[in-house]
Amino acid sequence: MAPLLTLRAAAFGYAGRAVVRGVNLSLEPGDFLGIIGPNGGGKTTLFRGLLGLLPAMEGTLERGTAAFGYVPQREQLDPIYPLSVEEVAQMGAFGRLRGLRTLGRVEREAAREELRRVGMLDRARDQFANLSGGQRQRVLVARALLTHPQVLLLDEPTSGVDRLAQEQVIELLDELRRERGIAILLVSHQLQLVRRAVREVLWVADGRVLRGPAAELLEPQSLDRLYAGKPPESGP
Amino acid sequence: MSASIVQAPVEWARVLELFHWAILAALCAGLVCPLIGCFLLLRRTGFHGVLLPQLGATGVALGFAILPWWIEHVGLGGLTLEQAYADPHAMLNWHIAWAALCTFGGLGWLLVASRRDGRETGRVAAAFAVASAATLLLAQASPYGAEFVAEMLRGEILAVGVHEFETIAAAGGLVLALFALFHRDFLLVSYDREFGLVLGKRAIAFEAVLMAVVGITISVGVMIVGPLVLFGLLVLPPLWARRWARTMGGFYAWSVAYGLASVLLGVWASFALDWPLGAAVVAAGALLGLPGLAWSSRTRASR
Repeated sequence: MAPLLTLRAAAFGYAGRAVVRGVNLSLEPGDFLGIIGPNGGGKTTLFRGLLGLLPAMEGTLERGTAAFGYVPQREQLDPIYPLSVEEVAQMGAFGRLRGLRTLGRVEREAAREELRRVGMLDRARDQFANLSGGQRQRVLVARALLTHPQVLLLDEPTSGVDRLAQEQVIELLDELRRERGIAILLVSHQLQLVRRAVREVLWVADGRVLRGPAAELLEPQSLDRLYAGKPPESGP
Repeated sequence: MSASIVQAPVEWARVLELFHWAILAALCAGLVCPLIGCFLLLRRTGFHGVLLPQLGATGVALGFAILPWWIEHVGLGGLTLEQAYADPHAMLNWHIAWAALCTFGGLGWLLVASRRDGRETGRVAAAFAVASAATLLLAQASPYGAEFVAEMLRGEILAVGVHEFETIAAAGGLVLALFALFHRDFLLVSYDREFGLVLGKRAIAFEAVLMAVVGITISVGVMIVGPLVLFGLLVLPPLWARRWARTMGGFYAWSVAYGLASVLLGVWASFALDWPLGAAVVAAGALLGLPGLAWSSRTRASR
């Protein structure tokens, strides 16, 4: 099967200046990758590049699918909007609507089905802004699933939620990966959680990207070396 | 005062006969402005709902100030200055063009300035002060302008005729059509721009259409119903509606309901209490928000 996403010596940045460069990556169905690294190291820039929000300044980026789902940091979403849970989930279908076409019965039922899948159907009529952090995260995952993604990218999906909710979100993502073969990439600062959840990580620091097994790269000794700007001794 | 209220059945028939175009124009504004105001509020740019109509009014005053020079050096359909002043169609179109120039110029400036550093509250306040002063000073430069602008700023809209109503109805129809076509996209790029981009939406294009809709509403509205009515109908109905709305559809519906109710109550107050219609509409709009404020206070107190 062709890779869903292939990057060869790719560079991403802003205003003509590369923030991350030399990125080589091949993403296959069912992959579960964590993007980690120190603040200011280029995680967000890489994430935006993978989403297609930044063009590759150097190298190549090939997409084997157009079906990319995105789950933003929920703090980015302004609570002033009087949106119900169901309305937020339905936004996942907006990409398929043109002109005066309204959401049909099929799309509405699909949104309810995805809410059911993430365990939020019973809150469908509630205000999205009134939910807890973990619940909002589940609704945003349902919204992304309505785009029928083959690749799902999540920005800090477990920050600011309690430990139980973190475990539930990670468990949900792993189930989706196994059930639907979705490739999942998540940016996170929570190294221990990432180490338990994902098989591989992309370490992004000083504009460079290193891919390796989570169990190896996130060992305390490896992390000490990585934060010091040195490659891990048992590096990939 | 109470006597005029008692005489209502006879008075109202006469009022409707004489001023139905003004009332219909205000209802048109009461329908369209709250919908646009919803997005100004949600995008946290509600203060644009105050600045932009004022800039539109500055445009109208600028039109008066520049008209003599324009007729002498450029020409306006072969009209002399006196003929131009006497031609309501020519004057309406001329002033709407200048109101549009200032409104869209202001929108462009706000867009560029906010992208530069994201701090625009102080700039908007300063621009409002300058625009308010410029409106009066420019109007002073024309003997006709001073009187017209003074009435416009006071919210005297009873002189609105069929041509003005047709103009605001056509602009309102266009705005409603664009809103019906693109409201989902406006919502998506306003609420979560990056998600919209990932879905393949051209966010800049939809933001430009949203700005165009705001600009059209204000440029036409300021000339016909005045900046005061626009302030009130862009800002107050969505603010009150937000207290009750639990869905976006409900938010739009509550906003329009508040807008239309403000106009109807304002029309009643204007004739019953002999208030300027524009000011009465805004006062009515403010009054209609009191039950919501009381309800919120009671809910907070009971927690």
